[in-house]
Amino acid sequence: MAYQDDIALMAHLMRRAGFGARRDELEARVAKGYDAAVEELLHPETQPATDEYALLRYQPAALLPGGQPPMGNVNWLYHLVNTKRPLEEKMALFWHHVFATGNSKVDNYDQLLEQIQLFREHGMGNYRELLSIVSKNPTMIFWLDNQQNHGTAVNENWGRELLELFSLGAGNYTEVDVRECSRAFTGWTFETKIPRLPYGRFPWKFEYRPEDHDDGEKVFLGHKGHFNGEDILDIIVQQPACGKFICRHLYNFFVADEPQVPAWPIEAPRNPKAIDEMVEVFRDSKFDMRAVLRHMFNADWFKNARFQHVKSPAEVVVGTLRFVGGSEVPRPGYGELSMNTAYMGQDLLNPPSVEGWHTGKEWINSGSLMARINFMAEQIGNTSALGVRGIIDRLRVKGSLSPEQLVDGCLDLLGPVEVSADTKAQLLSQANEWGQISWSNGSSAASDQHVGQMLQLIVATREYQFA
Amino acid sequence: MALTTVARGRVYDWSHAIGRGAATGTGFNYVQTMCLDKNGNAYTTNRGNENNFGMRANHVKIGTAAGEEDLLAEFFQYGEGDGKTTWPFGIAVDSERDRVYCSDEWTSTISVFDTGGKFIAKFGKPGSGDGELSHPAGIAVEKSGNVIVVDAGNNRLQVFSPDGKFAGKCGGPGKAPGEFDQPWGITLDKDGNILVADWGNNRIQKLSPQGRPLMCLGSYGKSSKPEGAYAVTPLGPYVAAEGERAGHPRTDQFNHPTDVAVDSDGDIYVCDWGNHRVCIFDSEGGPITTLVGDSQVMSKWGNMSVSANPDMMKARRRVKSLEPEWRFCFPTAVDFDPASDQIIVADSQRNRLQVYKKVRNYTDFQANL
Repeated sequence: MAYQDDIALMAHLMRRAGFGARRDELEARVAKGYDAAVEELLHPETQPATDEYALLRYQPAALLPGGQPPMGNVNWLYHLVNTKRPLEEKMALFWHHVFATGNSKVDNYDQLLEQIQLFREHGMGNYRELLSIVSKNPTMIFWLDNQQNHGTAVNENWGRELLELFSLGAGNYTEVDVRECSRAFTGWTFETKIPRLPYGRFPWKFEYRPEDHDDGEKVFLGHKGHFNGEDILDIIVQQPACGKFICRHLYNFFVADEPQVPAWPIEAPRNPKAIDEMVEVFRDSKFDMRAVLRHMFNADWFKNARFQHVKSPAEVVVGTLRFVGGSEVPRPGYGELSMNTAYMGQDLLNPPSVEGWHTGKEWINSGSLMARINFMAEQIGNTSALGVRGIIDRLRVKGSLSPEQLVDGCLDLLGPVEVSADTKAQLLSQANEWGQISWSNGSSAASDQHVGQMLQLIVATREYQFA
Repeated sequence: MALTTVARGRVYDWSHAIGRGAATGTGFNYVQTMCLDKNGNAYTTNRGNENNFGMRANHVKIGTAAGEEDLLAEFFQYGEGDGKTTWPFGIAVDSERDRVYCSDEWTSTISVFDTGGKFIAKFGKPGSGDGELSHPAGIAVEKSGNVIVVDAGNNRLQVFSPDGKFAGKCGGPGKAPGEFDQPWGITLDKDGNILVADWGNNRIQKLSPQGRPLMCLGSYGKSSKPEGAYAVTPLGPYVAAEGERAGHPRTDQFNHPTDVAVDSDGDIYVCDWGNHRVCIFDSEGGPITTLVGDSQVMSKWGNMSVSANPDMMKARRRVKSLEPEWRFCFPTAVDFDPASDQIIVADSQRNRLQVYKKVRNYTDFQANL
């Protein structure tokens, strides 16, 4: 039983720090131990990078996809499905939630993919440095109009969102702070890039124009000086609100669903003690994200928070494809496949606004639920797929299964998934109709099919929508 | 930046560019392979994408100077059934027999057209047996009319008669001479020797007409980004203050080469895809120089696009440097036209061809001008 608990805990870690794992991988990770698994996840450089050349051989348009879906989505889906560095990719997804930037305005998946690459490279590094990198990221500059933020005509869009959505949260600054912050970022822009016609896309390059910078004195969050953008970032990260805001984002994304961000000024965290612990590490480590993540994944409140997080569409699609297998190499139709998260309410690289997506139970409505279940059921019902065969092969060694053994076996190997007694009874009701199943006397194909159908029923349960 | 490249006993002049990005008609859309007909005009396969579905083969006039480009034919478009394609890849022309062969790496078939693009026949099917194909890539036609197909997924070459009957094979997966890892382009020299871009093994292999290994050229080497350089894509090329070859590996180090050509002197041209350059060697494999793309004058079709979009011209006039536009970006194919001494490079991500001329009897200028 202790071993089964280890498997369940490892499955929990891999659902949260990655996109789930098959039983073979869980067993291998358990053999090395939980601590080793966490450290490997925190050090993606120990694992090989995804082979981008294979993607470009099959889908060359995924390199510079321009503004039209789905080729940008193809690029990221390929990385998500193939990565050997799941936490690196999960952190890129996390920061994409926080620094939400979208193709609806940028009209350029190339630049959005470049931003995702920044998140891969720096997502587990120092938050203060990441703020600086994002502040100079031309995609963000264009998204929040900072190229229109001039010394003689201030545009507050970047300055406001930096404080409200990227660092402190509403209620922790004044309108004067927004103004002064924005003044400090005047002159932070990008060079004119070579336009898209006739030879395709070229990237922006950050440019600081001192002649367009307002170097006058500013008063920002109680500090006075001739601040430039970097000075503002130094002040921001020292604010107690900053650590609380970022750590609450982490808690919501990795541990358990919180209310939506606009409600944070009026609704307390569901576990204030956990947030306080993370903030302390954030502060003491001088804003080192890896240190905060390490503390979080090793905390009891993380280990005990199983199935308290509604899977995002990205987690649904990527988790399913990685589990089932067969989507590692692009094929015709990969573009359509990559759009499935959008059909479930999460159009990757194109969030609905700078606030990103509303998460938790807001992922679920009658349409998105159907899209999730149909997608998962279609994939998991493919009994010839590698991951599904893995489940079947483990069950068939038992020779024959009672209805209860079939249900328990499928629940175990698909997760383990924990379901209510009522759900279990419904699954058992269906299994009872099939009776005892076996893999002898020519009944193999039918038994395979019953396993596939039971898996389809499980992915359609309420409980399976949680990670 | 140099438009004339002078190397050991060789001179190459950049001539002109052809093309623009277009899902149909006058332009290209991610050229995968290319071949030249007896008049020096190019056939290309275009991979397209799942937004514009610009998959197709086209036949384009090269000419000897800017402005002569012309679309001669377009065929093998996206779709199902005879004459259509899902993932077009290889293309080879047999001008003597009025045949063009095109591979589809998804359906693992070879479609045969006349040189005007009219569908004639199709052969091949998925599999690993004799006459079966897996992800067929480049194609070459022997003097006999036999067709050599780079059977990339099976890591071998297969030979077919002109009507598609299996005639022979060589190779297999591996790293030893005569073995391949997802090979891509192919060419034949004047003696019928076979040169293959061994993509995954980062080398060029030269085989006898019977398939016996004769030479392996190159090893792995990847460009590094010089400090402060402008990355044209996340995977290069890099435009650096130190010069257009800054950060490049040695000439004989490749990053996933996709094609190879041999000129009338026996010099070898390697399309070094992942390093965004063409590497040139003598017939023994001795390094000569590299070409990095020098498209400083816009193509005719490119000019048409810009002229019709005033904002594009306005933006171009504000750009500090157009150098990133000159450079190759994942070039996929290279060919040599012995009649004109032209080297034609398919600059895949830029949806154009860049044309160089190998200059004979070059006389140096007075150095103190």
